[in-house]
Amino acid sequence: MVNLKNYLEKLSQEFFTQLQGDEESDFFIHSEESQFIRFNGARVRQNTHVHQHELALRYQKNQRTLRVNLSLTLDFDQDLQKILSILQDCRDQLPRIDIHPQFVAICNHGQSQSIKKVVRPNDEEMLKTIIECFGSADMAGLYCSGPLRQISINSKGQFHYFENDFFFLDYSIYNGPKAAKGFFSTENWSKDALVKNIEQTKTKLGLLNLPSIDVPKGKHRVYLEPMALLEVLQTMSWGGFSYAALKQGRSGLRKLHQNELHLSEKFSLIENIGLGYVPPFNSLGELSAKQTSLIEKGKTINLQVSSATAQEYDIPSNQAEPDERLSSPEIKPGTLAQAEILKKLDTGLYLSNLHYLNWSDQQSARITGMTRYACFWVEKGEIKGPIADLRFDDSIYNLLGSNLLALTSHQELFVEAATYQKRRLGVAKLPGALIQDFNFTL
Amino acid sequence: MQTQIEKIFKSLSAEADFVAFKTVTEKTRDLSVRNGKPENISIDMDAGLTIEVMKDGHIGYGATSELTSEGIQQAFDRALTMTKVASKNAVHHFDLSVRPRSEGTYISHRQKSLDQISTAEIYDFLKKASQRLKVSDKIISAVADAMVIETEQNYISSNGSQFQQNFNIVVSSFSATAQDGAETQTRSHHGGRGNCLQIGAEYFNFDKLEQDCDQLSQEALELLTAENCVHETCDLILAPDQMLLQIHESIGHPLELDRILGDERNFAGWSFVQPQDFGKLKYGSKLMNVVFDPTVSNEMASYKFDEIGNPAEKKYLIKDGLLIAGLGSLESQARSKIPGVANARSSSWNRAPIDRMANINLEGGSLTLQQMISQVENGVIMYSNRSWSIDDYRRKFQFGCEYAKQIKNGKLTKTLKNPNYRGVTVPFWNNLAGLTVSDTVETYGSPYCGKGEPSQVIRVGHSSPYALFKNIEVFGG
Ligand SMILES: [Zn+2]
Repeated sequence: MVNLKNYLEKLSQEFFTQLQGDEESDFFIHSEESQFIRFNGARVRQNTHVHQHELALRYQKNQRTLRVNLSLTLDFDQDLQKILSILQDCRDQLPRIDIHPQFVAICNHGQSQSIKKVVRPNDEEMLKTIIECFGSADMAGLYCSGPLRQISINSKGQFHYFENDFFFLDYSIYNGPKAAKGFFSTENWSKDALVKNIEQTKTKLGLLNLPSIDVPKGKHRVYLEPMALLEVLQTMSWGGFSYAALKQGRSGLRKLHQNELHLSEKFSLIENIGLGYVPPFNSLGELSAKQTSLIEKGKTINLQVSSATAQEYDIPSNQAEPDERLSSPEIKPGTLAQAEILKKLDTGLYLSNLHYLNWSDQQSARITGMTRYACFWVEKGEIKGPIADLRFDDSIYNLLGSNLLALTSHQELFVEAATYQKRRLGVAKLPGALIQDFNFTL
Repeated sequence: MQTQIEKIFKSLSAEADFVAFKTVTEKTRDLSVRNGKPENISIDMDAGLTIEVMKDGHIGYGATSELTSEGIQQAFDRALTMTKVASKNAVHHFDLSVRPRSEGTYISHRQKSLDQISTAEIYDFLKKASQRLKVSDKIISAVADAMVIETEQNYISSNGSQFQQNFNIVVSSFSATAQDGAETQTRSHHGGRGNCLQIGAEYFNFDKLEQDCDQLSQEALELLTAENCVHETCDLILAPDQMLLQIHESIGHPLELDRILGDERNFAGWSFVQPQDFGKLKYGSKLMNVVFDPTVSNEMASYKFDEIGNPAEKKYLIKDGLLIAGLGSLESQARSKIPGVANARSSSWNRAPIDRMANINLEGGSLTLQQMISQVENGVIMYSNRSWSIDDYRRKFQFGCEYAKQIKNGKLTKTLKNPNYRGVTVPFWNNLAGLTVSDTVETYGSPYCGKGEPSQVIRVGHSSPYALFKNIEVFGG
C-alpha cells in the first residue's frame, strides 16, 4: 500500500515545478478506504468496499481560476501524466474566460497534521458482531467504516493533513410498519455499548405497541428530540446562514439577518469546528476559526462568509467553505431537564424524528416536512400511544421564535453519516426543543 | 487501459461463482455564470472500476480508482473476502438468472459529440444567457449554468456479457431573481434543474433560448407585485415542468420494488404500495397511463442495458389507472416475484446498482391546453417546481411552484406568487380529470434523484402533458 502522504508530496512537488511565471496551483485531496454494508432484516443486502482517491486541482493565472477534479490511480507516472495534460488544457482554456470577480489568490496557510483512529475489530468481525447483536430483530441500515483522509497542498508551500479512521452504524428496527431509529458511533469501540444502544432502540419500539391514537391536524404542543431538531437545523442551514445566499436572494432567513425579526432569546447557534470532527482547514486550505457565533439569544451575529464571498462583497472572510454551509453546528443547551420532558410537554406530540423537510416559502421562513419513526401522543405527561405520520408547515419565526418554550439541558452529538458520492465529514451537537402551537396541515 | 483491465479480469474471473468488471469514465464540465461574470468553472474527470463477485448466491462489490494491477487485485480480494462472510447472512441467495448474458453498444443520440465543444465556447453561451436575463436593476441575480457530461461504461462478465454505453448529457439552468424592498422572487427555466437531456453540442444554440430568457425575467418582475396564491380547494392544472416532480415523487419512488421490499426503510423510506397491490390497486383515474421507457431518444435516462446486463424495454407501470408493474431489477423480481423492469443502476463506479427510475413518463390525453383551461370554472395553473416534500411511505405530499395564474370561468386571469398545493397520492391521482394531447408533452428530468445506503444520486427523465386535477388544496406564502 502506497503511503498517501509521501506520494502526494512527491506528486505535488513534481507538478508545481512545471508551473511557469505567475501560474499558481493547489491540491485538495479526498481519499477513503471504506467498507459499506447494507442491511435489511438484519441480513446483508449488499457489501461494497471502496478505494477512492480524488484530487481537486485549482489552477490560477491572471485573476482567473479553473478547477479540475480527477480520480487518482496512485500510479505515479499515470497520475503525473494526467495532471500535466490538465495543465496544458488549463493554459489553453483559461485566457478565453473573463476575470473572476471572486478571485482569491492562493497563499501559504501553513502546515498541520491530525491523525485519529477508533481502535476496533476488522470489518469481517464487526459484521459477525452486528448480526449476532441484532439477532432476530428486523433491522435495516448501513455500517460504514474505514480511514478517510483530506489533504491540502499548494505551490506556495502549504501542507495540511487530516486522517480519521472511524465507523458508524446507522439503523432502524421494525415491528411491522412501526419503527424506531438508532445510531451508533463511538470514540472507543465496545460491544457492550452496541448492545446497550440496541436495547434503548428496542425499548422505544416497544412503546409503539400501545394502541395508535388518531391526532387531528391543527396546532399542537410538541417536543422535538435532538435528532428531530437536527432536521430543522439542516433545512435552515440550506442557504440560511450563507452571506452569498442573503445577497443573491436565496436566503430563507433574510428578515432575521436584517434585524426585522428575531428568534427566541433561548436560541443560540455556533459553528463549532472545535468539536473536532472536520479538518481544522477548509477545502481551500484556509485555517477555519474554531468557533463562530452565528445566532446569539435570537439575533444574528455572524453569517458564513467564504473568501470568494468576502472578495465579491468586500467584507471579512471567516474561512467558511465555498458553499457556506455549516459543518459543525452547535445549538446551545437550555434548562429543561431530561426527566421533566414529558411533564412539561403535558399534552401534545413527542416527536423522535422528522423527514424530508423543505422550505415551503423562503420569504416567510416557512418549512414543511413529515413526522417519522417513533412519534407519540402524550396526555398529562404520559405516553398514550403512537400516531400516524403528520405533515407540518410552519415558520421558523414561530418554531424557534415566539413558540419556543424550552430547550433541554442535555445535548446530543451526531456524527455526519452522509455518503453521496463520498463520505462526508461533519458533526452536530444540539438539545431537544419544547414548542407550542406547532402547525400540522395534513 | 481497457485492454489491461480485461487481461486482469481474465485472470480473476474463475475465482468466484460469477465475476463482472464495470469501468466508468466520466467527464463533467460544470460552469456557472452570474450577472455576466464567471462564478464557477470546473472540470471533473472521474474514473474507476466496479468489481462484482457472486459467492454462494450472494453478490458483493469492490470498487477502486486505483486502475493498476495491484489496485485491482486488492479491490478484488477485499470484495471476495467480505462477500464470503456476508453470504452466510445474506438477504437472498440468487442464481445466475439475475445476470443475463448481453452484448451490444449504446450511444446517446446526437448530431455533434460533446467533445467537439470547448469549455470556453460553453462559457460564452452561458455568459450571453446570463446577460440577457439581467434586464433590470431589480434582477439581482441572473444565473446561467450547465453541466456537460460525457460518460463511458464498459461491462464484462464471466458469463460472456460484454457491452459499452456512451452517454452525452446536458443539464442546464437559467434563472432570474428579482428583488424590490422586502419582496424576492425567482423564475427559472423549468425549475432548478429540470432541463436534462441526452444531447450533443448542438444544444448550445443561443437563438433557441433568447425568447425564453426574456420571458423568465419578465415573469420574475411580474411576481414582485403579484398577489399570493389563494388558499382554497379548487381545480388545479399542473404544467409539465411541475408534473415531472409529481410523477417522480408520487409514482416513481413508491413503485420501486427495493423500497417495497424494505431495503430503503432506514434512509429514503418504505412505500404505501404493498406486494399484493400489483394487478389490483386503482392508482389513479382511467386517464392515467404511465410507462417506464429507457428507449426514448434524447430523454435523460435512456440506455440499452441496465448495469447488470438486462436489456432495456418500454413497459407499462400503470395502465388505465390500474397498477400493473413495479420498478424492480432482476434481483428485486427474484426476491418479490413481482413483474419489474431493467433498472439496476448505480451513480458511478463506487456504488452498487440498486432499483432506480429511468424515464418514467405519463402519456398524453385528448385535450388542447385551451380546452383544458376552458373546462375550469375556478382554479389555478402552476408552473415550474421550487419546493418538494413527501413522507417516507410516499403518501402525504406538499409541492410548491414558482409561478401561477388564477383561472376563472374558463379564462386565465391574474398572476399568483408562492403557489403551493398538497394532497395524498392515491386520492390525488384518482382526481385526475384531464390530460393534454401527446404533442404538448414536454420532456424534463433530474440529475439528482437521491437514494441508497451508501447514498447515490441518479439521472432520471420524466415527460408529461399538462394535467388537470379536481378538488385540490392550494395555498400561498
Ligand atoms: Zn428521487
